[in-house]
Amino acid sequence: MQRRWVGKGIPSIVAAEKVTGKMVFGTDFALPGMLYGKVLRSTVPHARIKRIDTTKAERLLGVKAVITGADCPEHKYTVAGQPVADMTILAREKVYYVGDEVAAVAAISEDIAEEALELIEVEYEELPAVFDPEEAMKEGAPILHEELGSNIASHLDFVRGDPDEGFASSDAIVEGHFETQMVHQCYLEPHGAVAAWSGSGKLTMWIPTQSATLCRMTYAKALGLDPKDVRIIQLPLGGAFGGKLEYKLHPIVALLAKKAGAPVKLVNSRRDEFLAGTPRVPMKFYVRLGGKKDGTFTAKEMRIIAGNGAYTYYAPPILVSAATRHDCLYRIKNIRTKAWAVYTNQPATSCFRGFGNPQSHFAFESTIDMLAHELGIDPLEIRLRNASQSGDVTAHGWKMYSVGLTDCLKKSAEALGWEEKKKNKKPYRGVGIASCLHVSGNRSFLPFFDGSGAMVRVDGDCHVTVYSGEPDVGQGLRTTFAQIAAEELGIPPWDIEVALVDTEISPHGLGTYADRATTLGGNAVRIAAMDAKRQLRETAAQILGIAAGEISFGDGMFYSSDDPERKVSLAETARKASYLRGGAPIVGHGTFIPPDVVMIDPKTKYGNISCAYPFAVHAVEVEVDPETGNVKVLKFAAAHDLGYAINPLASEGQIEGGGTQGIGYALREELVTGSLGTENASFRAYEIPRASEMPEFVPILVESNDPNGPYGAKGLGEPALNATAAAIANAIFDAVGIRVTRIPVTPERMLNLLNEKLKTEGKPLSSG
Amino acid sequence: MSKHSIMVNINGSDAEYEVDSSDTLLSLIREKAGLTGTKQGCNTGECGSCTVLVNGKPVNSCLMLAVEADGAQITTIEGLSANGLHPVQQAFIDAGAVQCGYCTPGMVLAAKALLDSNRSPSDDEIKRAIDGHLCRCTGYKKIIDAVKIASKKLLEEGS
Ligand code: FES
Ligand code: FES
Repeated sequence: MQRRWVGKGIPSIVAAEKVTGKMVFGTDFALPGMLYGKVLRSTVPHARIKRIDTTKAERLLGVKAVITGADCPEHKYTVAGQPVADMTILAREKVYYVGDEVAAVAAISEDIAEEALELIEVEYEELPAVFDPEEAMKEGAPILHEELGSNIASHLDFVRGDPDEGFASSDAIVEGHFETQMVHQCYLEPHGAVAAWSGSGKLTMWIPTQSATLCRMTYAKALGLDPKDVRIIQLPLGGAFGGKLEYKLHPIVALLAKKAGAPVKLVNSRRDEFLAGTPRVPMKFYVRLGGKKDGTFTAKEMRIIAGNGAYTYYAPPILVSAATRHDCLYRIKNIRTKAWAVYTNQPATSCFRGFGNPQSHFAFESTIDMLAHELGIDPLEIRLRNASQSGDVTAHGWKMYSVGLTDCLKKSAEALGWEEKKKNKKPYRGVGIASCLHVSGNRSFLPFFDGSGAMVRVDGDCHVTVYSGEPDVGQGLRTTFAQIAAEELGIPPWDIEVALVDTEISPHGLGTYADRATTLGGNAVRIAAMDAKRQLRETAAQILGIAAGEISFGDGMFYSSDDPERKVSLAETARKASYLRGGAPIVGHGTFIPPDVVMIDPKTKYGNISCAYPFAVHAVEVEVDPETGNVKVLKFAAAHDLGYAINPLASEGQIEGGGTQGIGYALREELVTGSLGTENASFRAYEIPRASEMPEFVPILVESNDPNGPYGAKGLGEPALNATAAAIANAIFDAVGIRVTRIPVTPERMLNLLNEKLKTEGKPLSSG
Repeated sequence: MSKHSIMVNINGSDAEYEVDSSDTLLSLIREKAGLTGTKQGCNTGECGSCTVLVNGKPVNSCLMLAVEADGAQITTIEGLSANGLHPVQQAFIDAGAVQCGYCTPGMVLAAKALLDSNRSPSDDEIKRAIDGHLCRCTGYKKIIDAVKIASKKLLEEGS
C-alpha cells in the first residue's frame, strides 16, 4: 500500500523549537517565587551517621529549608516493580557510598544553598566497605543492608536443554572471562526537577523524565502519598539513555518544597552526576561455549556477577536481560546460567541503553569469535550458520515472528568490505563483527501492567493533538507519533501536536524504555487515530446523507465512493462534528496490549517477554597504534533490523548516536570509583567521543516487517550499541591477535597487552 | 563579593546589569537576561553547551566572567533568528542534526562562527570547530552534514 507520511525521513516536528533556543527543557523551567535546592552527599563509602547538625546552615541568610533523614518518611522504598525496598529518601542511619544523599537545602539562590551545605556538620562512624561485587559475595564481606542478611540483591539459576550432553558432543570448547565497567549515560542535560505543593496538599512535579507513570508510582510510595495526589508533568529532556527514570533528586525536591512552603528547583551539577548517578551495571562473565566442526553451537554455560551498587534500582531485571537475551540470537538449545547482582559501596547501578546487553553481548560475541578461531571458521560464517530465523521459538520461549539477523550479517559485512579486507590484511588493522538483539517492550518489567494507550483529539478547528503516556526522550518520538497520526488522518505531520506527558491528562503509559515506545505506543496512537477517523467519517456520512460504509477518503476530503463529487472536507467535517456535539472535540481512543506476551516464570525466567524482537549487526574496521596503544575505529557499518523505518532519517540518527556511545564504551569510558567515590567526575577526566574521533559511519536499515509492529516497526534505539564493544574487540583480535577481555580498551591497557604479547612471543607484531 | 554595573549588548540591544564579580556570563544570560536558550551542561568549560558569540567569536560563557563582558556584543541563540531561521538553523533541522537538542544552540553558534570566517570549510575544519562541543545523541555525523548544507546555502546566497 502506498504510504504518505510514514516511511519518510521528515525532519523532527519540534526541531525549530530547539534550534532557536525556545524549547524549555527541565533545567530551564521556572515558577514564580521559586527557591533553589542543593544536596549534601556522603564523603565516605560506608558509615553509620552519628550526628548531623544543621543549625548553622539554617541560620544562614537566604536559607529557607534544610532537611535530613529525620524529615523523610521512615519506611523504605525502591523503584517501580522491584521487590526489595532498601532506600529512604535521605540517609537515616547509614550511608552506603560516596555520594549518598545525606541532607538538602533550599535557599533563595544556588550559591547560598551551596554555602549552606558547607555549614552542615555530619559525624560518621566509618564501616568497612566493599567495591568489587565478587568480593562482596564472599563470606565475611561487609554487609551493606544488614536487614537483608546478605549482599545478594538477586540471583538467577536456570538450565535449558541438556548442557552436559551438549558439551560432550562438542568438537571444540572455548572458555572466556570478561569484565565490563561502570559507565555514565552522560546525557548533556543533568538531572533536574521543580516541585510545588498546592494549598490542599497535592504535589506537582515538573520532571524531564522517561516515565511520568513510574515517577508517580514510586514517589507516591516514597513520600507516603496517594498517587492521586501526585501529578507529574514531563518536560523536554536533554538526553536520557535510560538514566532518567526514577531518581532520588525528585522526592528530595518534593520534601524541600514542602518544608520551605514554596516551589523549589534542584539541578545536579555535572560532578553530582558522575558521583551519584545511576550508571550502567558493571558485570563479570565466565563463559563456556561448545561447537561442532561445522560451527554449530552445541552448548553454552555462563556465570555473571553484577555490581548492584548501594541500592536496588533496576539491576535485577537488567541481570535477567543480560543472562537471557543474547541466547536468542542463535539456535542454541543447551544452556546453563547462574547469575548474581551484588550490593557494593558504589552508586546504585541501573538502566543505560541496552539494559544489560552491551555487557553480555561483549562477553558472548567475543566468545563466539574464540570458538570460530578454534574451529578455523570465519567469524561471519559461524554466525550465519547459527543465526535464528523468522518463526523460531528460542530456548527461552521467545516467539520471533520477524528475524532479520541473516540479512543484517550479510549487509553489514558487505558494506564494511569484509571479504576484501580479510583477504588483503594490513598490519595493525583488523575487522570484527558482532550481532545483537533486543526487545520492543519487556513484559517482565512491571508484573501488573503492560501495553500502551493513546488519545487523538480533533477539535472544531481540525487541530489535532496526540496524547500518549510515552515521553519523547530526544530521539524524535513526537515526530514518529505525528507521522502515524498523519498517515491515518490524511493531514501533514507538522500540523499535528504531540503533547508532553502529564499524568492528569495523558493515558497511562509505562514510559520510554525497553525500546517499547515506537512499537507499543505507536500501535496505540495508530489505533486512536483510526478511531478519530471513524468518528469523523460518521459525521461526514451525516453531512452527506450516505452510509459511513460508502464513504472514501482522499486528499483531505470525505467523498461518496459512488459519486466522488459528493464530498466534504476534513476541516468542515471536524467543525460540524464539534457543533453537533455541543463543542466537544472528537477524541479517538487507542490501546495496544502486546499479543502472546507473558510474565516470565519467576524461577526459570522462561516465557515470551516481547511482541517483537529487533536485531542488529555491527561490523567495524580498527587500527591499533603499536606506539601509543590507541585503537581507532576507521569504519563502522551498522545494519539494523528495525522492522520498518517510520522515519529513516531519525532511524539513522539513532544508529549513529548509539554506535558512537558504543565506541566510547569499548574504548574510553569508565567511572573510576573506590573509597573516594568517583575519581574522574568531570568531562575532562571522563571522556566521551568527540567529533574528531568519528569513523566513517554506514547505517543500514533492514526491514523485516514484524506482524506486531505499527506498519511493521520494532524497537531501534537500544540495540544501536549492544554489539559495538564486541565488534571492536573482535576487530582488535583480527588486527593484532590479542583477545581483549576487559573494556574499555584504553591506550594504556592496549599497550600493556601488546607488551605482554611481545614478551611471550619475543618478536614484534610485524604483520599484526 | 563586589557589585559591578556593566553594559552589554545582547542580540542587538544594549542593557545595563548589576553583577557580582564572581558571576559568569552564562548566569548573566540565563538568569538576569532570562535567555534560557543558552544551555548549561557542565559549568566547567568542558561541554560547549553554553557557547555564545562574544564579538563574533564562540566562547564558553560558563568560563567567562560577566564583568569581562562589559562593553561586548553578545549573540545568543535567540539572536540568530530575528529575521526567520538562519541558514545554519535550517540546515540543522533538515539534516536531522537535532535529537534532544541540548547541545544544539552551542553547536549552531559554533557553526555560524566557523562559516562567518570560512565559507567552505573541509570536514576536518568542521570537526575541529565543534570538537569542544559534546553531543551524546547524534554521533556528530548529521551535525557535520548540517554544517556542509549550510555552507553550500550561504555560498549560493553569496552572503
Ligand atoms: S556549560 Fe559551559 S562548557 Fe559546559
Ligand atoms: S542532540 Fe542531544 S546532546 Fe546533541
